[in-house]
Amino acid sequence: MVEFRNVSKQYDNGTKALQNVNLRIDKGEFVFIVGSSGAGKSTLIKLMLREEKPTSGEVIVNGFRLNRLKRRQVPRFRRTLGVVFQDFRLIPYMSAYDNVAFAMRVTNVSAKDIRHRVPYVLGLVGLASKAKIIPEKLSGGEQQRVALARALANNPDLIIADEPTGNIDPELSYEIVSLLYEINKCGTTIVIVTHERELVEKFHNRVITVENGAIVGDTGEVWDERQ
Amino acid sequence: MKGSNFGYLVKEGVRSLWVNRLMSAAAVGVLVACLILVGGAGLFAVNVNSVVQYVENQNEVVAFAMDGITDDQVEELDMDLHMTPNIGEITLVTSEEALEEWKERMGENGDVFDAYDPGEIFPVMFRLQVEDIAEMEDTVFTLMQHPYLQRVNSPQEIANTLTSVRQIVSIGGVLIVGILVVVSLLIIANTIKITVFNRRKEISIMKYVGANDSFIRLPFLVEGLMLGLLAALLAFFAVWGAYEYVLHWTAEIQSSWIQEARQYFIPFEKLYKPLMAAFGALGIGVGALGSMVFVRKYLRV
Ligand SMILES: Nc1ncnc2c1ncn2[C@@H]1O[C@H](COP(=O)(O)OP(=O)(O)OP(=O)(O)O)[C@@H](O)[C@H]1O
Ligand SMILES: [Mg+2]
Repeated sequence: MVEFRNVSKQYDNGTKALQNVNLRIDKGEFVFIVGSSGAGKSTLIKLMLREEKPTSGEVIVNGFRLNRLKRRQVPRFRRTLGVVFQDFRLIPYMSAYDNVAFAMRVTNVSAKDIRHRVPYVLGLVGLASKAKIIPEKLSGGEQQRVALARALANNPDLIIADEPTGNIDPELSYEIVSLLYEINKCGTTIVIVTHERELVEKFHNRVITVENGAIVGDTGEVWDERQ
Repeated sequence: MKGSNFGYLVKEGVRSLWVNRLMSAAAVGVLVACLILVGGAGLFAVNVNSVVQYVENQNEVVAFAMDGITDDQVEELDMDLHMTPNIGEITLVTSEEALEEWKERMGENGDVFDAYDPGEIFPVMFRLQVEDIAEMEDTVFTLMQHPYLQRVNSPQEIANTLTSVRQIVSIGGVLIVGILVVVSLLIIANTIKITVFNRRKEISIMKYVGANDSFIRLPFLVEGLMLGLLAALLAFFAVWGAYEYVLHWTAEIQSSWIQEARQYFIPFEKLYKPLMAAFGALGIGVGALGSMVFVRKYLRV
């Protein structure tokens, strides 16, 4: 599902964000990535999304060899995954419904499918009753759930979340991760970057620890109960 | 592309125009000004050309045949003249016809010519209309080489003046149009740049969910096209009004040469189709180019 082979990333300004990373996440896994600030977690995510290209090494996600992916093939690749960010990235003037519908519309989904799918995913995240509300009138946790619904809209095989709970209250953080956990039970692979140690400890899942651009710890199969 | 998505793209373009309405209005204003200047320069050039052409047609080259030319030789000369390049209409004036003309002009004193043989005082001559007045000098030079011709009279100075008027008008026109097209492109590009900036959030979301590049770019194309076409429409009516006004205004000027030239001004009914086509093409071209070419730069999709 996700594979890094000897991946190093050096930014244009010379910062060595990742060095010789090897990593493998299989289909159906639920993985936390932890590490201190500046460790290289977001860089890892950006490489998975093909927002950045590795300086050396190979990245394979959902069967796409990202090094060789041509620019015009990127949209097709991105449609196979869902992304959630710390800052939600919702369009402020659109209702919860339209924010989700927007993501489907711009990927050429038919109007009929949109009408069926949007209420369904909003229901999954528990926002069926707030479909018509614009983001600024929703709480942080609710906004993140809209973002999660959007990530789910195109039924992805993999969901990648970079600090999805960074901007919301700790009690609500648990709710969001629980939601992702439920989604994972249906077979969707989940990768979550987080700072919150306690949160990680509540879910007994695989934890990958990144420090100074290298993977220094991986609980691997030990914590992964389903393997 | 599905119907609902096409609707979405158009709606996005219009919405963006409205959200940035001040900016859009300013852009349309500058574009209208550019197009008015382009249209004005074009119409001015067309009319100057029309008047110049008329003046040119009034200027003919007169070629005098040698004395004692025979009828056969006149016929031969006539054929040669027909084969000389750059010569339009050819009018043969025989000695007798020239004599008649002069007699008429002299009126009562016309009989002074009676004592002479017309061939002696009036050589056979040809009135020649020159097609391209800029080439007149060469044509006259060619004519002088002909053994049956003794003299060629040509209004060379007038020809030179008219030729330079034409050149100035057409070079000036091209220059003005060129500069203004570039200005228009930059205006559109700048408007689009601001829209891209305002919409950077939507654009980044579209990229993450896997929208195609063309899909992301299309609303900007729609916006650019609408700016261009709206400006073209407004400029067309403005130019129309101004043109009619100038035609009316010149009618009231008491200058004989303006009145003379006025007859050769081209009425708007004959100009509106090409003008509309030119404005439409410019509006579409500038709108599409300004938004598509430059949007690449601001939009790393
Ligand atoms: N676009 C960039 N250009 C240059 N350097 C960058 C860029 N993005 C990140 N870096 C640097 O790369 C290193 C790793 O950054 P990264 O964002 O991956 O860390 P992180 O683990 O996500 O940190 P945080 O927990 O604070 O989000 C840092 O030193 C950072 O300054
Ligand atoms: Mg980060």
